[in-house]
Amino acid sequence: MRNKLGAISLLVVGFLAASLPSLAHHGNASYDTEKTVTVKGTVTEYIWANPHVFVKVDAKDENGNTVHWVIETQNLVQQSTLGWTSSTFKPGDQVDIDVTPAKNGRPIGRFKGRIVINGQPFKP
Amino acid sequence: MGSHSSRESPVRASHANPSDGSNLKMPKPAISTIPTVALISALCLLPSLRAQTAPPASVDDVKIDKWNSVPLRKSAYDGLKPAPAPRRDLAGAWYAAGDPPAGGGAAPGIQATGAHEYPAVLRGNNTPPGGEPDEHNIPRQLPYTPLGEATLKAHKPTGMSVRSVPAVLGNDPLDICDPPGFPRLELYEFRMVEFAQMPDHIIVLSQLSRTWRTIWTDGRELPKNPEPRWNGYSVGKWVDDYTFVVETIGVDERTWLDNAGRPHSSEMKVEERFHRIDHDNMELTLTIDDPKMYTQPWQPLIKFPLRLQPRGFDIREMFCVPSDTAQYNNEIGDPSVAPDQK
Repeated sequence: MRNKLGAISLLVVGFLAASLPSLAHHGNASYDTEKTVTVKGTVTEYIWANPHVFVKVDAKDENGNTVHWVIETQNLVQQSTLGWTSSTFKPGDQVDIDVTPAKNGRPIGRFKGRIVINGQPFKP
Repeated sequence: MGSHSSRESPVRASHANPSDGSNLKMPKPAISTIPTVALISALCLLPSLRAQTAPPASVDDVKIDKWNSVPLRKSAYDGLKPAPAPRRDLAGAWYAAGDPPAGGGAAPGIQATGAHEYPAVLRGNNTPPGGEPDEHNIPRQLPYTPLGEATLKAHKPTGMSVRSVPAVLGNDPLDICDPPGFPRLELYEFRMVEFAQMPDHIIVLSQLSRTWRTIWTDGRELPKNPEPRWNGYSVGKWVDDYTFVVETIGVDERTWLDNAGRPHSSEMKVEERFHRIDHDNMELTLTIDDPKMYTQPWQPLIKFPLRLQPRGFDIREMFCVPSDTAQYNNEIGDPSVAPDQK
């Protein structure tokens, strides 16, 4: 079933060239909300933008290989009301983040609450 | 960020911030200088002590960041005694989103699951997984006509409503940065709105999409057979000194009403009723009348609260930016629904 959906998705992607999210608040369809993954690694980029703010983190998997994680939250204005800023993360920061992972097993996730930046819990 | 205590001017009243005692920390003086320093200290302290004991007189006394101001939470108004509403005046920056619920979730104005009074959620589940074929399992059904229901089903929302689909399968106009249009400006991501009042019209500036609407108050009639516009055509009048009623027609059919994909036709009439309760508070009731899509008028917002923000409030931008959206899709939107990777 999931593969079928994947195949359909790919077709549609090919057709539309791009899938496009709204400014905020996407459904849970792509994420496995039952799971939590801890991502520990180094920030390589922080994108403070709409539709969603996101951060890229290089982390090691169990075999020591580097995995390029991309972790998203909500839109920029929403995050600003929660105390996030354009300098919450910067490249080189060592982070430890709880993440809701994508269902398809790719290193894509959504912030799930706990965020530690350079050893300090981030509580805006 | 986050603290709005008033520290800018000592004579201004304050929401005192206990951790901010910078004025009170004096270095230990040498003994011979104590009398002088004590006198100076006392003189210095007087205004700041006064500032920390007097309550703010009005919302304008509450400190905000001067740039990219953060809207005040409701608690910032605790203890304020709002002045009476000024007559026939909506001017100022108003916050509509409200506070997020204590138990978590989005603030009321966000309306991620659809219009505030008609959220497209399953009974007992405010974060639906999407995937429902229709809205028959939501608590408050809308009075769709057959055309209304068919048009609803042709709209594939990607938000948080019961019929949501993965972003790649959706057709929400906002997903390609089309204008939200009116009244979606008030039925999705309804955050900051600013009113600029002119002698013959009122301009409503919206944070979402950084767009504006002109509401004519010069007595002109609405156009006959209007050419559709994203934000339609609006006229308004004061029905009493504190209630401003706006009629809007001529909205482009490509816009959705809300994040759940509720449709409208070009025959839709929208009424906004802004009722100013006092200086700091206003309510908005919004009525949709569209006989092609709905068998009777319905009200997505009923006495929905808006709070006046302090003078000098600087509204942050909220654009849908095609290049940023393309990057997001490339890095997250598309790969998150791509085939499984193990």
